[in-house]
Amino acid sequence: MSDNELYGAAAKLFAAHNRWEDVGEAEATGWAQQLWKALQQSGFSDVPVPEELGGAGGSVADAVQLLRAAGAHAAPVPLAESGLVGGWLLASAGLALPEGVRTVLPPAATLRLDGDRLFGTVPAVAWGHRAEHVVGLVDGVIVLAPGPAAQSSGPAVSRGANLADEPRDTVVFDGVPVTARADAPDAVTEETLWERTALGRAALMAGAISAVAAMTLRYSGEREQFGRPIARFQAVQAHLVTIHQQAAVVASAIDGAVAAVELGRGSFEIACAKMLADQAAQLVTAAAHQTHGAIGMTKEYPLHYLTRRLWAWRDEAGGHHRWADRLGAALVACGPDALYPAIQSGSEVMQ
Amino acid sequence: MWWAIWSIEVVVSLPSMVTSPGALTAPELELRQQVRAFLIETLPWGTFEPGLGMGAEVNPKFSAELAERGWIGMAVPARYGGRDATAVDRFVVVEELLRWGAPVGHHWVADRQIAPVLLRYGTEEQKRWLLPPICRGELCFCIGMSEPDAGSDLASVRTRGVRDGDGWRVSGVKVWTSNAMRADFMIALCRTGEGVRHMGLSRFLIDMRSPGVTVKPIPFLNGSTDHFAEVVLDGVLVSDEMVIGEIGQGWAQNANELAFERSGPDRWISTFLLVQEFMREWPDLAASPAGSRLIGELAAQYWVLRRLSLAVARAIDAGGTPAAEAALIKEMGTRFEQDVVSALRELLDRELVCGMEPVQTPSLFERLLRRAVLEAPSFTIRGGTNEVLRTVAVKGLS
Repeated sequence: MSDNELYGAAAKLFAAHNRWEDVGEAEATGWAQQLWKALQQSGFSDVPVPEELGGAGGSVADAVQLLRAAGAHAAPVPLAESGLVGGWLLASAGLALPEGVRTVLPPAATLRLDGDRLFGTVPAVAWGHRAEHVVGLVDGVIVLAPGPAAQSSGPAVSRGANLADEPRDTVVFDGVPVTARADAPDAVTEETLWERTALGRAALMAGAISAVAAMTLRYSGEREQFGRPIARFQAVQAHLVTIHQQAAVVASAIDGAVAAVELGRGSFEIACAKMLADQAAQLVTAAAHQTHGAIGMTKEYPLHYLTRRLWAWRDEAGGHHRWADRLGAALVACGPDALYPAIQSGSEVMQ
Repeated sequence: MWWAIWSIEVVVSLPSMVTSPGALTAPELELRQQVRAFLIETLPWGTFEPGLGMGAEVNPKFSAELAERGWIGMAVPARYGGRDATAVDRFVVVEELLRWGAPVGHHWVADRQIAPVLLRYGTEEQKRWLLPPICRGELCFCIGMSEPDAGSDLASVRTRGVRDGDGWRVSGVKVWTSNAMRADFMIALCRTGEGVRHMGLSRFLIDMRSPGVTVKPIPFLNGSTDHFAEVVLDGVLVSDEMVIGEIGQGWAQNANELAFERSGPDRWISTFLLVQEFMREWPDLAASPAGSRLIGELAAQYWVLRRLSLAVARAIDAGGTPAAEAALIKEMGTRFEQDVVSALRELLDRELVCGMEPVQTPSLFERLLRRAVLEAPSFTIRGGTNEVLRTVAVKGLS
């Protein structure tokens, strides 16, 4: 399947199982069972895990296409956690995918592995309360452990939510025995886990931003004030330009990051992509709400499903400053004459 | 449609051509190495005063040396003296020249604008006559668009071409014309017919040595008198051979060529050297938390603007005329060029006082910063104000 076809297939699935009212209901209940079932049946939740490990195959580019589609539809499910991030962690250590809902423990979790038992408290776990399995990186070891929704011996959980009412739960491990464990390969470190997580968020953001762009363009062509569509006013056109510039920026950045990751690198490009997505989220949500006016502030109109997610996601997986600080420090360390070559070739010359 | 990559409909049909537009082919990378080696040898860093992007120094000798290597008018077919190269090849060369601050002023307009215009609209005679000397780096062109009462509103130009025997008599005043005092030719937008607004406009090549042409410098706000000029055309006789394309089609032609004029590295790279030299001269400040954060943020912006700009060059090579995309990039890139100046100035937080001539401020960074503060407002004006660009871009969205 080409990238286009994959995106089209995913968009069709979301259109069928994830209408705006479904998103609203999932935000209230904390879960979208029907959508998740469809994603599992299609195999989309298991991309890019190799088939021999129980996955659906596919590349990082495929997983990113799915996340773009998910972001454009504000899909309230742990798709990034299941595939691009958690699936990758497991597969990198040769661990097979378990049956059931899984999520991933965020990087920098203060976990401790004592023998085969996990100890520690992990905040902001995406859809933690629904996870039958959790995947994490603990002191260089990739672990698979029962989640709060496991039949038995799972960790305790207390519910939380981000600005978009997506579950971000606190999970407490009090000697929970791991289901499987394996030493992480050299290429999988806490930093690369950060990068994967950021790539997943940036891909979702790219999708959400493109949907905001389409929604705002359509609305500005339909809404009439002073006897003509508001898109005819130059002041409104400036907002449309900002939104589409930023959509182009984020789409291009994601493409660049994916291309680098497929070549086995990507630290420069992912840092750029997350930074640019965070900045775009700010500019795009402001311009889209300003263009929509009061209706965009209502629960009935669907803009908020996208903008609240953008406001939440920009702070997740490391905000703008985390990535700018790291990238900047690395560039400064390389010196002034290496700056432009880095801009041209990214992580190809940064490593 | 290339545009599609930028909107949701497009994400749906993401064209494969943009999956990695940042990647250059092996021959393109080889070309870049050649340009780098040439610059290191011909213009060693520290031996010349680097410029700010396309506003760099005018140096006919340097232009000739570039031309000798085939790097001016690259996309011109070999039979007219060019290299049959692509828009991306030109991107590669121009990017290296600009990020080195090389003195590209003499041939800049001829290479970026006139050669493509002649290829597209010129007669066979015009091509044979003008393209070879353009590719040799010999000719300097200026662009006669603005007039006292026609800035962004170019359709209201008053310079008139009136039929006179086998040619045209052109009269009027062009203003804010860059490099008019050095140019061999001007490409001038003139009214030749009645028509409403955009109708009845034509473009002429005007030999700047013709009787009736008077060039008067207009001092730039930084005191420079060798850049801007007023050009008075007083009954200048222009032969039919000097008409570009068809009489009355000047506006449509003008709109079509904006894709390659607006999206190149010159629209986002002008102040790059400030960042580089800031890192060199203020290493401790650059390594400070605020400094490295800024360097990281700027690098991300350069990286993505470069990708978008390169994607437009690829689209042009594929036969497209991505004028709206180019407008979006220029609008964003030129604002970024200005933001770089503000951000560095704020980080530095010191007075920009320099010694009077001939004692120059020894700091290249400070010299560049002084110039950039004074020149930066022009970035979002020249080649189409950002206000006009937004209107152009929106038309491409709907």
